[in-house]
Amino acid sequence: MTSAVSATIRDRVQGIETMPAIPTVFLPLLKMLSSSSDEVKVDEVVRLVSYDNTIAAQCLRVASSPLFGLAQLPRSIKSAVISLGLRRVETILLTCCLGQAFPAEKWSLDPDVFWRHSLGCAMVCRKFSEKLKAVDSEKAYMAGLLHDLGFMVNCLVFPKEFAAATELACREGVPLHQAELATMGFTHCETGQALAEKWKLGSELVEVIAHHHDVAQSQTAPALLAMVHLGDLLCRMRGLGYGYYERCKVDLISDPAWGVLLKEHRDLEGVDLARFTFELDESVEQIQALVATVFGSSSARS
Amino acid sequence: MTSVPQPAAMPLSPRPEMVDPVYRQIRDLVYKVSGIYKAEEKLYLLADGCGRRMKQLGARTPRDYWDQLTAQPSRDGELRHLLNEITIGETSLFRSQPQLDALRKVILPEITAEKTKQITKRLRVWSAGCSTGEEPYTLAMTMLEESERLLKGWTVEILGTDLNDRSVEAAKAGIYGDYALRNTTEYFKRKYFSQLDDKRLQVRPEVKKLISFSRLNLQDDSKMLFMKGMDLIFCRNVLIYFDGVSKSKVINHFFTNLNFGGYFFLGTSESLMKLNDQFHLVHFPGTIAYWKPSLNVGKL
Repeated sequence: MTSAVSATIRDRVQGIETMPAIPTVFLPLLKMLSSSSDEVKVDEVVRLVSYDNTIAAQCLRVASSPLFGLAQLPRSIKSAVISLGLRRVETILLTCCLGQAFPAEKWSLDPDVFWRHSLGCAMVCRKFSEKLKAVDSEKAYMAGLLHDLGFMVNCLVFPKEFAAATELACREGVPLHQAELATMGFTHCETGQALAEKWKLGSELVEVIAHHHDVAQSQTAPALLAMVHLGDLLCRMRGLGYGYYERCKVDLISDPAWGVLLKEHRDLEGVDLARFTFELDESVEQIQALVATVFGSSSARS
Repeated sequence: MTSVPQPAAMPLSPRPEMVDPVYRQIRDLVYKVSGIYKAEEKLYLLADGCGRRMKQLGARTPRDYWDQLTAQPSRDGELRHLLNEITIGETSLFRSQPQLDALRKVILPEITAEKTKQITKRLRVWSAGCSTGEEPYTLAMTMLEESERLLKGWTVEILGTDLNDRSVEAAKAGIYGDYALRNTTEYFKRKYFSQLDDKRLQVRPEVKKLISFSRLNLQDDSKMLFMKGMDLIFCRNVLIYFDGVSKSKVINHFFTNLNFGGYFFLGTSESLMKLNDQFHLVHFPGTIAYWKPSLNVGKL
């Protein structure tokens, strides 16, 4: 990508008036999630959430979903925090905020499909980090959830160009980022990076959003970036992709991202990738239910 | 995609927490022994299979059954019965659409492009443990669909082998009823079958001529040595009955028998676990396979 294209993207993302306002609690929550858990106060989260009843209600619905396996359903944010742990509740809140940030009428990509992929990737990243004890698991979840932020930007800022890219991807069965590059000359990685910088999401998240299709570019968070890259690939192969058939073969163990993780975490050698895949399948139905809860279902939009 | 999203009621399959936890222990044991994984939402199928065995054995609770399943010396025998229960009814034509999609959309284009550099345009496919022939016929029809496109000018040979003589005879006859044809579309029924009687269809001769059926014991080392030069091997729910040592040996034979760049497919929720580190586990949309890397592909 030339520096002129890069500047154009930055200008258009910075300058747009149509970018929807994100819920007030979103950025403070992100800040909390980026700090170490000891510094975060339960009361602070409860106070933040009390500003927005819709988000509080959605958060409780999500916390009650089978995905989190609670025997007793929480009645307040505070009880959800006690049952699920503070950091997990924060990531649930973050998910709910994003659901509000981008109204359905602005999408040229099926939003259900987008959210299933993002939530799927978030869950895979969390599972990877738990298995490897590598990266903080809620940070991994957040990175997975936000990695494709650039698709939202494309829907809002470059709707015609992006529609041509999705059409090409569906027709040829090629990965969406390749189709973007072929039709637009840039990808959701660059547009996502511009928004992430505008929102001041922090260097690690910016890196994940900017380079999740090219782990060699990592400067600050190689393990996190590698996890998101692998999570993205795995989801696209297991029914949590972008709603079309990608004519590709994915060899995760030969992927450079696997090598990056393996270098630092020898435990990865012991991971039974087939079983890991089957376990992901278990979550697909639950992710679909979660997306219907947080973001509304396709049928509600038709 | 224009209206405001509404929170929808959450559609739920049987809640995982309602399944007796013993079934998760049984699921893990079955995976460890056979490589078959029953996902959380399919645990009720495992529970059904266990239920039928419990009735036969007079076990009152899942815990009683677990005790019988893990007690020596009956463990191996009972596990075999349980595996029979949970894999029953898995055989049908067009059993796994994601595998067939991967074959047509990704693998055949890749293999044919690779082999075009060679003089002979020949594709060899082996359905190992093919039972009564559903899988090799499915593969043959899939290949015939590509005969005017990707496989134009190619010779396709499909081998169907099974240990059981009666299965091999039934496979040769190629006669199927509604149950075996439940996943077969009208298009394929009309194109590749003829009506035998009011309940059964028979595979047409042009499909049959792609396949040779024979009896083969996968544990017969000397015969396995002659199965070389395969591009694709399918072996569905057969290795689950083998102990670890025999399984490793058979898998090594499969690896040797495949050409470089060839693929090995198991059943939908079946895995090699970590019994072979030469194969690369590869993903295609909705399915996995084991790949024998081309000569120029290294391993990390």
